[in-house]
This record gives sequence, structure tokens and C-alpha cells, in this order.
Amino acid sequence: MSDRIGWSFRSAVGASIPFLSAVVGVIASNIPVSIFGSLVPPPMFGLMAVYFWCLVRPDLMPPGALLVIGILQDLLGGGPAGVWTLSFVAAYAIVDRERDSFAGLAGIGAILGFAAAMLIAGASAYGITSVLYWRMPPVAPIVVEIAISVVFYIPVALILGVIHRRLVGPLRGDF
Amino acid sequence: MPNGSMRYTRGRGNAQLPLAIVAVLAVVLVLLGKAQSSLFDRARASFTDWTRPALVWVSTPFDKVSAWFDGIGGIFVVYQENQKLKQENARLRQWQSAALQLDERLKRYQLLLNAVPDPALNARTARVIGRASHPFLDTMIIDAGKQQGMKPGQAVVDARGMIGRIFLSGERTSWVLLLTDLNSRIPVTIQPGNIQAIMAGDNTPNPTLDTLASTTPLKAGDQVITSGDGGLIPPGLPVGVLVASGSGFRVALLADAGASQDVRIVDFKLPPEQPPAPSPNDLPASVAGLKPEPPAPPPTQQIAPLPTAPANGVLAKPAAPAANPIQKPAPQSTQTPNNDDTQDQ
Repeated sequence: MSDRIGWSFRSAVGASIPFLSAVVGVIASNIPVSIFGSLVPPPMFGLMAVYFWCLVRPDLMPPGALLVIGILQDLLGGGPAGVWTLSFVAAYAIVDRERDSFAGLAGIGAILGFAAAMLIAGASAYGITSVLYWRMPPVAPIVVEIAISVVFYIPVALILGVIHRRLVGPLRGDF
Repeated sequence: MPNGSMRYTRGRGNAQLPLAIVAVLAVVLVLLGKAQSSLFDRARASFTDWTRPALVWVSTPFDKVSAWFDGIGGIFVVYQENQKLKQENARLRQWQSAALQLDERLKRYQLLLNAVPDPALNARTARVIGRASHPFLDTMIIDAGKQQGMKPGQAVVDARGMIGRIFLSGERTSWVLLLTDLNSRIPVTIQPGNIQAIMAGDNTPNPTLDTLASTTPLKAGDQVITSGDGGLIPPGLPVGVLVASGSGFRVALLADAGASQDVRIVDFKLPPEQPPAPSPNDLPASVAGLKPEPPAPPPTQQIAPLPTAPANGVLAKPAAPAANPIQKPAPQSTQTPNNDDTQDQ
């Protein structure tokens, strides 16, 4: 009996790790401190976690969790409400639709897969912001944001892979 | 690498409907944020207030690391920098002397002309506890809020010039919209020539100038200061200098928002404009041909003299009150002037 309760607890903890990792990523992206004098925007760690878990454990990254993560990104980021929420949803929808293609990517292909997702999110955010402000913001900052996020995805994906194998994978009970 | 070794074999499931619902909610959030931004702003301010101790704790080492990075480049040019600063200091001392003389002369002229003096500026100093530089946002967070008198719209300056203005105030923290932000618009004056313009941020280091006529004579190096139009930002705050950019000009800001550790928040209050005192002819009764009622006499009360201490130390009794302490003034003439022109003459 106690074994079953303990197993259920560990399973629940494991199931919450993808969501929590995305929340930690959003917080890390939006800590308002700057090492490089605000010259380089912070990477989109939250979207990295969303993309990763959407591919490897979509059951643990449902659309509802995505909504919370997006709202948190908007709340902490300081920008107009809903911009990154809608952008995350756009990227998630396409990755979810083409999951088999994205999940089959490896090596450089996997990085390019995230670059595509980041490009979708960035383009969506740019478009929504343009509509909200009724003018075209400069493209360079969002391009730098996409590039920085793609570069940082490499170490983050390795860390998330370890978390998946060590924490989430062994605890899952459905397969 | 990341994805190939972790191929997920489970079916996609029926996630399309929840995803559609979430997409609709996200669109509603965008529209709600546009229509009722104060809701989101309040939540953001409360969250920043709540996380203020953590921000202070986290920002301290990051600021030191940032300063260390900035200092690395300076190590190799210390001697040249020192020589340059000595020369600049000598020039600035000459300018300071000239400025003090001009300031005294200006005060004398203002006195002679009975000019309205410039409104006094109150300023508070606050510490920068956070900086957020995102693709569509350029802000900083300071550790002073409503409790310290911070209000949205107040100008934020550092030792060199204007940095931005407060756009969101929590109880103990405030968000500052930097001049480089996409939403920043401030009225400025370009000197010399007293050319009025609007400086607009576009998330690049050098903001642009709007509402300038194409024939406006500008040249690189012209000074840009706040104009004070609108009454929110005080006039005369240094902002930057013009630099050529393509076929036009941009503003190279004097302040360095990325390096500022402490900033000053300027509380600028224009004195309320007083309407001129109404003359009897302005009164509706006079215009209608009626005699206006005499103004009510101010209540005057005869004040008893204060008891004085006599030489023997015993206080004398106060004088007895007058029989009729309130004396009505003599009735004033209610005759209205017939011709104002004669009065003016």
C-alpha cells in the first residue's frame, strides 16, 4: 500500500517536472539583471522547455500548461499582455501538428527544428506587436533574440535530456 | 542529439480542441490587455513588489560582474583615459566659471523683468534593481514606489542626463520606460535654434526624431534637451546630441541606462495656472444692468493685546473685551466704473 502511494507521489512529481522546468525557464529569462549591459537579450528558456517536452512528452505539456507558461512570460517580461502567450501557442500548434517530423530530427537537425519553432514564435510576436502598436518595430532585436535562443538551446536540450532520462522517464507509469 | 534519441511513440491524442480553446483564450488576453492594461499592470506591479527582496539580492552580484566586464576593457587605456579626463576637466572648469556668471546675470535679468521663476524641482534617489531588455521592451526597475512618492510620468535621470520615465508604480518598486523603448515619446528641443521635436524610441540605442520639417536646419553635435511641453517632464533636462544616421539624424543619448546604478526621479509640478481676477464688469449681474451686491466684509475681530510680563513677574489681566469687537466696515460705493479705458489710462 505504502509502495503504491510512494510510487504515485513519485509519478506526480515526475509529471510536474516538464511544467516546472518551463516555469523555471521563464523566470530565468526574465530575471531583470544584465551581465552584458543589456546588449544581448535573454534567451527564451521557457519556449525551449515547451518545445522539448512537446516533442518527447506531450502528455506532460498540455495546452493548459502552455497557457499558464505564456501568461507568466508576459507578466514577468513587462510587454503587452498576451503577446508571448499567443506566440507560444502558435509555435506549439505547428510543432504539435508536425511532431513526427520534429521528433525524428537529431543533431543539427534538432537544433534547426527548435530554430523553426523559435522563428514561428518570434514572427508571431513581431506581428502581434506591430498590430498592437500600429507600426513596424525594428527587426534586428527579434532576430538577435532568435539567434541567442537557438545557440542556448544546445546546452539546455542536453540538460532537459538528462532530466527526462533520470527523473521523468523512470517515473512515468503509462509506458 | 536532443530529439532523435527520445522519439515519442505515443499517439498525438485529441489535443486539438484544448489547443483551440487555449488559442482563443490567448487572443482574448491580447484584446483584454489592450483594452484594460491597468489590470495586467497592477498584477505586474504587485509581483515586482513581492519579489523586490529577491531582486535586490540577485542584482547585487550581477551588477558587480557587469561592472567587472566593463572594467576589463578600460584597463588597457587607463593612461590615455586619464590624460583625456584631465584635459576635459580643465575645460569644464572654465565652462563652470562661465556658467556661474551667466546664471547670476540671468537671475538679475529675471528680477528686473519680474519674470516668472522656474518651478522648483524635487528629486529622489533610487537604486536600480533590475533591467529588462527584450525585443519589444526596454525597461528598468527601481526600488522606490508609491510609498516614496513615485508616480507614473516622472522623469528619471542619472548624472549625465535623462534615462526615461516611470510608467508603472508599485508600492515599493517602479518600472521605468527607457528612452530607447518602442513606446517612448518625449517632447524635446534642439539647441541652438530652439527647434521643437518629438524624440521616439525604436529599441535601438539611438532614438529618432519625429515631427520635424524636412527643411529644418540640423547638424551633428546639436544639443537635445527636454522641452517641457505637456507639463509632465521638466524643461531643460539634457538628453543627448544629434548624430548623423543615413539621410537623417538620431539622438546619441548622454545617459547610459545599462551602467546606471543609482538614478534620480524628478518630481515636476507646474504651478496651476491662475485665472485673472474678475472685474465687476465680468459679473453677470453687471452685464444684466443690475447692481452687484457689495462683497461680504471680511470678519475682523479685535484681538486683545497679549499680556506682558511685568517687572514683578505677575502676569497682568488681559484687557477687557470691547463692547462691540466686530466693527462693520463703512459701506463701499457700489457704483461701477463707467469707463474702463480711463482707468487703464
